[in-house]
Amino acid sequence: MAIRVTLDRILLDRRMSLTDLSEKVGVTLANLSILKTGKAKAIRFSTLNALCRVLDCQPGELLTYEPSEDDALEEAADQAAE
Amino acid sequence: MKALGKGSIASLLKVGLLIAEIVFWICLGVLALAAVGYSAVLGLVLSGTIEIDFPLDGPWENLMWQLALPAFIVGAFWLGGAIVIVRRLRRLFESFTSGEPFKRENANHLRVIWMTMLAMELAKIAFAGIVITLIAIYGMPADPDHDVNLNMSSDGFDLMPWFSILVLIVLAEVFREGARLREEQELTI
Repeated sequence: MAIRVTLDRILLDRRMSLTDLSEKVGVTLANLSILKTGKAKAIRFSTLNALCRVLDCQPGELLTYEPSEDDALEEAADQAAE
Repeated sequence: MKALGKGSIASLLKVGLLIAEIVFWICLGVLALAAVGYSAVLGLVLSGTIEIDFPLDGPWENLMWQLALPAFIVGAFWLGGAIVIVRRLRRLFESFTSGEPFKRENANHLRVIWMTMLAMELAKIAFAGIVITLIAIYGMPADPDHDVNLNMSSDGFDLMPWFSILVLIVLAEVFREGARLREEQELTI
């Protein structure tokens, strides 16, 4: 997946731990960890809303699009399967 | 009647499937013993060690080796397939009762079940073909006092097992897609 979540950098800038963020946002530590490590398949707008509110940032600062060759191959394979 | 829990449909079916599996295993054991016994007797008769003289009518017709040997093989194959299906159904039921029906393994269980059913239906057709071929090659024992009638007619081609296989193919794909959506939903934050 080419979408990258830059939670690490923002937490560092805000000097906040993942545990603090989890308590303020209302998302479990396990789920935030999934998000941080790029294993998430989707994010709800409500979660994105809560993250931006707590971290005082824009969605574009939290999420970036960085396509790689592997992602292009994966997408081509998905389209061929459809 | 409740869907889950003690005394529910699921628990009754679970017990039923367990009993069915035990019965199929017993039948397979009996069939294996019968096949070994029949082969031993046939071997002794063909080698001339013993002589068996019985009238070729009624149930004795079916003991002719052209019918009996393919019947043993196809019977063993059919019982083996039935055991595979029942075991997979039991595993499916375990996941239903645990509250997680849409797992990738369940799609695989359904796929194995429809493939096994397809093989069993093809085995039935193969059985008829093998018997006819063996009779054509080796003929049937001649008895001047008795005409052996072999009735191989059926009531017509039964489409129901084939429809069941089609239903299972579709169900397997439904479960596969369901498992995919569930995995995606689990990884939605």
